[in-house]
Amino acid sequence: MEMKFKGSFKVSLPRAEVFEVLCDPQKFAPMLPTFRSMEMKDERTANVRIKVGVGRIRGTASTDLTLEESEPPLRAHYVGRGKVMQSAYQISYTFDLEDTPDGGTQINWASDTELAGKILSLAGGGLKGYAEKEINKLILSVQQGMTPGAPPVILPPEHVGWLTRLLNWLRGEPKVEQAAEPTAPQETFQASEGLAAQPDDVLQEQQEARDRISSILQVTRKDKAMGRKEDSRLVRGRGLFVDDYKPAATHHMALVRSPYAHAKILKIDTTAAEAAPGVMCVLTGEELAGQIQPFLQIGAQACALIEDYPLAVGTVRYQGDPVVAVVAETLSLAQDAVQLVDVEYETLDVVINCEQALEGKTLVHEQMGTNVDWQGVYEYGDVDAAFAEAAHVVKIDKLHFHRFGSTAVEPNAVVATWNDALGGIDFLSNTHMTIPITMVSLALGVSADRIRLRTVDIGGSFGNKIGNYPYMTLAAIASRKLGGRPVKWIETRSEHMQAGTQGSERSYFDTEVALDRDGVITALRSRHVDDCGAYTRYEPLGAVIWAQVLPAAYKLRNIRIDFSQEVTNKGPAAPNRGYSRLPHMWFMERVVDICALELGIPADEMRVRNYIREFPYETPNGCVYDSGDFVLMLEQAKDLLGWDQWQQKKEEAKQQGRLIGIGIGTTLDSGTNNFGQSIIVNPESPFSGNAVPAIAKLDIDGSVSVTVGSFPHGQSHETVVAQVVAEELSLIPDMVNVAIGFDTERNVHTGQNGTYASQFAVTGLSAVHGAVELLKAELKTLAAFALDAVGEEFEFGIGEMGPEVRVKGSDRCINFWMLSNLVNANSAQLPEELRSLDLNCRYTYRPPFDPVDLDKKFGNLTLTYAMQTHLSVVEIDPDTGRVQILDYAIVDDCGKVINPMVVDGQVQGATAHSLGAVLLENMPYDDSGNLLTGSFTDYAPITINNIPKIKFGHRESPSPFSYNGAKGMGEGGGAALHSIASAVQDALFAKGVIVRNSHCSSNAVFDMLQQPNREGMVQVESRS
Amino acid sequence: MSEQIQRIPVEITVNGTCYKREVEPRMLLVEFIREEINLTGTHIGCDTSYCGACTVILDGNAVKSCTLFAVQADGGEILTVEGLEKEGELHPLQQAFSTEHGLQCGYCTPGMLMSSLVLLAEKPEPEDKDIRKCLSGNLCRCTGYQNIINAVQTAAKDLREA
Repeated sequence: MEMKFKGSFKVSLPRAEVFEVLCDPQKFAPMLPTFRSMEMKDERTANVRIKVGVGRIRGTASTDLTLEESEPPLRAHYVGRGKVMQSAYQISYTFDLEDTPDGGTQINWASDTELAGKILSLAGGGLKGYAEKEINKLILSVQQGMTPGAPPVILPPEHVGWLTRLLNWLRGEPKVEQAAEPTAPQETFQASEGLAAQPDDVLQEQQEARDRISSILQVTRKDKAMGRKEDSRLVRGRGLFVDDYKPAATHHMALVRSPYAHAKILKIDTTAAEAAPGVMCVLTGEELAGQIQPFLQIGAQACALIEDYPLAVGTVRYQGDPVVAVVAETLSLAQDAVQLVDVEYETLDVVINCEQALEGKTLVHEQMGTNVDWQGVYEYGDVDAAFAEAAHVVKIDKLHFHRFGSTAVEPNAVVATWNDALGGIDFLSNTHMTIPITMVSLALGVSADRIRLRTVDIGGSFGNKIGNYPYMTLAAIASRKLGGRPVKWIETRSEHMQAGTQGSERSYFDTEVALDRDGVITALRSRHVDDCGAYTRYEPLGAVIWAQVLPAAYKLRNIRIDFSQEVTNKGPAAPNRGYSRLPHMWFMERVVDICALELGIPADEMRVRNYIREFPYETPNGCVYDSGDFVLMLEQAKDLLGWDQWQQKKEEAKQQGRLIGIGIGTTLDSGTNNFGQSIIVNPESPFSGNAVPAIAKLDIDGSVSVTVGSFPHGQSHETVVAQVVAEELSLIPDMVNVAIGFDTERNVHTGQNGTYASQFAVTGLSAVHGAVELLKAELKTLAAFALDAVGEEFEFGIGEMGPEVRVKGSDRCINFWMLSNLVNANSAQLPEELRSLDLNCRYTYRPPFDPVDLDKKFGNLTLTYAMQTHLSVVEIDPDTGRVQILDYAIVDDCGKVINPMVVDGQVQGATAHSLGAVLLENMPYDDSGNLLTGSFTDYAPITINNIPKIKFGHRESPSPFSYNGAKGMGEGGGAALHSIASAVQDALFAKGVIVRNSHCSSNAVFDMLQQPNREGMVQVESRS
Repeated sequence: MSEQIQRIPVEITVNGTCYKREVEPRMLLVEFIREEINLTGTHIGCDTSYCGACTVILDGNAVKSCTLFAVQADGGEILTVEGLEKEGELHPLQQAFSTEHGLQCGYCTPGMLMSSLVLLAEKPEPEDKDIRKCLSGNLCRCTGYQNIINAVQTAAKDLREA
């Protein structure tokens, strides 16, 4: 980021005297507004310490201020270079002097500031105002310094810290910064009454507010109904999130991260940090590279050559790339020491977009020899023949799906303890898949059975925290270096924005669509490029799983997509809600809308003509859409919205010059994936199918406890499992214990467990169902023996002695405790043939998948497909580009609904994410690779104020492929991205605008209005 | 770094218990609550006072405890989420968040509860727009907010009818 300011002023001193002051660093430097101290390094260079601060970001900057040019008595030119808060800056001041007729001097000044690094991400838009204010102060200070007899400059009060002001106020001293001498604490705060010495009306108000709170706290509710099992601890503030876990002797890790997007590391000096109070150890990339293996790369093409370590080795590749880890007794001490690490960089050219990546002039990873980490062509049907026969061909030059993230409120976090005496490495983490165990295990050369991974409560993730493993690895190494003390790392928000939450972006080039005379799409060819940032991490799976929804909701059979993924100098992408399928469906919806508008077919009619009608439906690449009805969903959503009324209102509004648009978003939520698709990115991949276990157990007291292998982070698995098990055993859900979180020591995992890709309702519940069936069978066998009722039919229920098994239609029964006792405490009573019974039943669910055909890229990639239709009505302010949602309707079909409350919650939450993504949230980078939205304040995730009232409708089309008819869901809510883009398009088409980007913020729409792009972007060729 | 770390004595009452500690001047109130007195229900979700996960009630007003120093709360009375229940019984507001499914992962919930409580204490019959205004500084990434509005409305009704 570069900021330039200039101006001029006059002083009464003659030019020679002015020059003498300005060309002497010793005289000039103290005029800097927040000057603290200085030390001359040589005649022309002073090392100056100044205070800087924007908002909450404060620090002392050490600047080398050099008089680079002096031309007596005409010009003085200073350049200051320095670092503050993991950021780098360069400031120049130029003073050109002219004589004035009255013997004084006119000073023409110019200042140029360049910034790179974290401060830019954090302070973002606030920096320009800050810089301008500081420059003005400097000029004022110079002006006053040159005016004989002028009073000394008193700094404005906002530069005096809060504590100093308070101290001054308590002492009745003037508000001058220099007065802030250290004072003994007891003197300072004896006067806590001083704090309370406020006017009576303020005290009165405070008392009233306190009284109101204490009175409302007294109220109780008679009905003690509760919603979910999880809620009892969470609404009490008694959950256990990672940062709440504080084992004895926990040490804290903080990271030095790169301010540059691409640079060579020339030197790392950690001497001062190591000597700082409380610091226990410091780790660098060089040190790690000698101890561990680089992380496993999933792909087999160029990405296999990437060497990815938890800390940068030799080169940093994105702004925020971790360079040094500092571990100290407390977090504050670790953060203090981070400031003392000195890293010298030599900046390199950056690769910031897919065009630059393709060009390949600069390589993100030299050893790859390219920036393309994976490429493959997906071709089905006879594309060229379809184009040859087409009545219309629509060509679209470029579309773009922007970079955003789900930004869970809890960032990545881990507590790692590497204690050989206790068996290995213990992680309490908030990752949510077992693949990170594989990653950590291979990197550290530690067997997976020596790695314990636990999660308890996780503060949201939406896929992002699968990318936690580099930090887990780092914390583990730090713990080993500290002799087994626990090491805690909690990512800060700004770190999470730079490095932990970014979804990959996608560009779509040279799209061509063939249509018949009726507007039915017959073929599509296009070139898609994913930008996954600096490291491939969980990629390039994102480069293939979009193919689960290859034709989206449409019946075209001829498709050719040349897909590649590239690395750039941006934050590494993590899986993000809707992962890879959402960008593809956004593309397909854009294609359908653009074709409809260009051919003059209404958007709803266009969809009806093109929707897939019959289910199960095999897509051109072998996926099987299980059940549903897109046409009925659209009809239902139109009724819900009041489609016809809105069309009428839209026409009326048009007459008044208002811009109203109505949009449609259709989407598929593919769930339960077949890991077989991983062979497409790596023919040697040892993964296929899917496997998820569960354990159902009758404990020694006769209680039913169930353990699942999922890693819930808001998806209500405890509640849903208790509900399902209670139904199967005729209990009430409160009688079913469900283990909280995930723990490898419960032995209920495979290599594919996790909470990801919309699968729990199918994989998790099928595993639970299987385990309960096994348990029921054992219980019946035992009951038959105990009740001497072999060959009889049994039923489950709750009797006088609690849960029981009884002979159907009789009063002969035995309760669960007695049955458990037979196996667990009274086994000598059991006949030999029953002694193998365990009442501890593990079942692994494996969906019916076949391997994927690598050559044809053909196979069933997911088991179930939930569907959603979103309709929106927006009004656009023609002057500001503001998009206001006037109405919104959603129809959801996720097969058999197990728990309507939980399903509704997922639909609403996912919709909010995509509304935020389309209207507000964006992660743009500047040309130097600085992330411009590195804080929540700049990124502006969607708040309660931005959520419209939404009308919800449901359909239930049971899946024929799951035992319970359910389909995985939770990601289909992404359709707001399609629907809003469609509505904006509808409103602006008459203005010559094609919506080519998925970000439709006010700014973006304003730009669209300024630069209509239809001409040149879309071409239609029609044959008569 | 060679300077001795300054510590300042404070007395802060949290959920009815008065805690006396000596703290660094730079210690944030949220650090005091989470680390000094180990009440971990109050969460941290950002570094720019945007997310509101750390909201507590100080002297009757909802405050973001990441935006105050502990020394600023000296002599003050704080209520955190742990202070909402009475003898193990949930407060109607906590219950309403549960019955209306106003939480999923639960990380933002303590902040939501504390902000909403102040609203309900001041406005027993809030309109939806009052709730939106009150919670505009509390970020939730899971629920999509509609159920949070419903939860506060349900709690308001329950409190009026109790």
